[in-house]
Amino acid sequence: MKLTEDAMKIDAEQTVTRIKRFIKDYVEKTKTKGICVAVSGGIDSCTTAALSALAIGGKRVTALYMPEEETYSPIEAKHAKQVADKFKFKLETIDITPIFQAFCKVLPIYDEHDKLSRGNLKARTRMICLYYYANRLGKIVCGSSDKSETMMGYFTKWGDVSADISPLMDLYKTQVRLVAAHIGIPKEIISKPSTPQLWPGQLAEQELGIKYETLDLILLGLENFMSVEEIAEQLQLETEFVKRIKNKWLASEHKRRPPLTLKQEFRTIGTDFRLPYTPSLTKQD
Amino acid sequence: MTQEITIALAQIASRVADKEYNIKLMEKKIKEASQKDADLIVFPELALTGYLCRDLVYELAEPLSEGLSFQRIAKIAKRESVHVAFGMIERSEKVSAVIYNTSVLVGPSGFVGKYRKMHLPTHSVFEEKRYFRPGYETPVFKTSLGKVGMIICYDVYFPELTRILKLKGAQLIICISASPSTRRVFFEALTVARAMENTVFLAFTNLVGIEDGLQFWGGSRLVAPSGNVVAQAKYDEEDLILAKINYADMKRIEAFVPTLRDLRPEFYDEMKREAQDL
Repeated sequence: MKLTEDAMKIDAEQTVTRIKRFIKDYVEKTKTKGICVAVSGGIDSCTTAALSALAIGGKRVTALYMPEEETYSPIEAKHAKQVADKFKFKLETIDITPIFQAFCKVLPIYDEHDKLSRGNLKARTRMICLYYYANRLGKIVCGSSDKSETMMGYFTKWGDVSADISPLMDLYKTQVRLVAAHIGIPKEIISKPSTPQLWPGQLAEQELGIKYETLDLILLGLENFMSVEEIAEQLQLETEFVKRIKNKWLASEHKRRPPLTLKQEFRTIGTDFRLPYTPSLTKQD
Repeated sequence: MTQEITIALAQIASRVADKEYNIKLMEKKIKEASQKDADLIVFPELALTGYLCRDLVYELAEPLSEGLSFQRIAKIAKRESVHVAFGMIERSEKVSAVIYNTSVLVGPSGFVGKYRKMHLPTHSVFEEKRYFRPGYETPVFKTSLGKVGMIICYDVYFPELTRILKLKGAQLIICISASPSTRRVFFEALTVARAMENTVFLAFTNLVGIEDGLQFWGGSRLVAPSGNVVAQAKYDEEDLILAKINYADMKRIEAFVPTLRDLRPEFYDEMKREAQDL
């Protein structure tokens, strides 16, 4: 397998058609009223919200823009609104600052210097608001995590990744860009640097230490059972560097799983309880 | 035996574990196809239950002798005076936990025959060996529709199987399937290859719909012994297509592409030895 830009190419039209069908099918099968989605103004969330609107109609999509004062950016706010206007879905703004501050005040071990725990608290606060909306409105939560960030564990456990469906999770970031361009997400949203907005000035590529164009090719190689040495040679990278990426992927597996339990009985949740989800057959109030 | 028959490919989106819904849907399609003079209606693999049933397979399995769902389909076929091929989870008559991924053929006079899937995919999203026992028989049924053999989905990757069916005299091979979108390109090539290399008609019906994030691509097709795709259903959506086939066409193609004449049976011993020593 050749790890070139061509290997990341997708049939954008077909991908969009399939994602729209997937979203619509799930909403229909679960007999829910629509979708709640968090929109930050970034490419992943704008694309997810737009695809949701294209799949089931903007009127059934509730998007939440949830800024907080430390990371607030008028540009992100503008981008969120721009996409909402273009794809005709409802956008509500919830300033999470007072909720976040209340958490900080109440938690006895709160430490303002612990950047990561503090940042994750923001992502989880957004998740709480989003699921409140979904419960209240009888909708499902549509997540916007992509494959690159999910494989790298570059997300908050039980935070931004929490969702009922995640239609972009099998697409690398560079492929999400192709989908975004295909459905008409504005160029400035596609080309700006990604940020999880957990603290001021946070940039994804800077933290990951690699451009998505290269990261995606490494991950594609790993997905296709290629060895670290093969990938490093093809991409002309240091073997140690590729190994570090592989280790990040493996080390973050706990973030992508249901909680681990100790097997003690006949069939165990998360291991050998293998059930299909059959909402149309078993839907309960 | 009739030379010309009309085959309907009923590409449906079964609901996982919802046999009642699936039987009603199948009944509707059988009626519709019968009104259009179909002689045979082919449904996808595990059409009766949906494909990704996982641990529910044990409660969804039915023995053929007393299986209520099977009997309902057989009754509908009798009433409409047509043949129907469909996939179901078959429970062994002897041991209840032994189950098979089976293709059943019923006709106006009731049960015609069954084929138990031999090659059970257990890789990627597939976990069939976890649940099913493989089949060991390659029957060809002499029917009013001609001589019919059956294969199921992943079996199409193994040319030996269709070759055996052809050697046993099959004129029509029914291939029922639950193939996800990522495999489309392989199936489009393999269905043509299996028909052409054996100079047989091949009726391929694939599932559609999404089960646990797995999209089945449809694209059911009827392939002539020449390799020509006589009829092709839509991708990704439910569809019902009908086409006529005439066995008289086989004579011309068998002379033009004489694969049976050119068989080299001596290679098969070698293949067996090599395959046993991988």
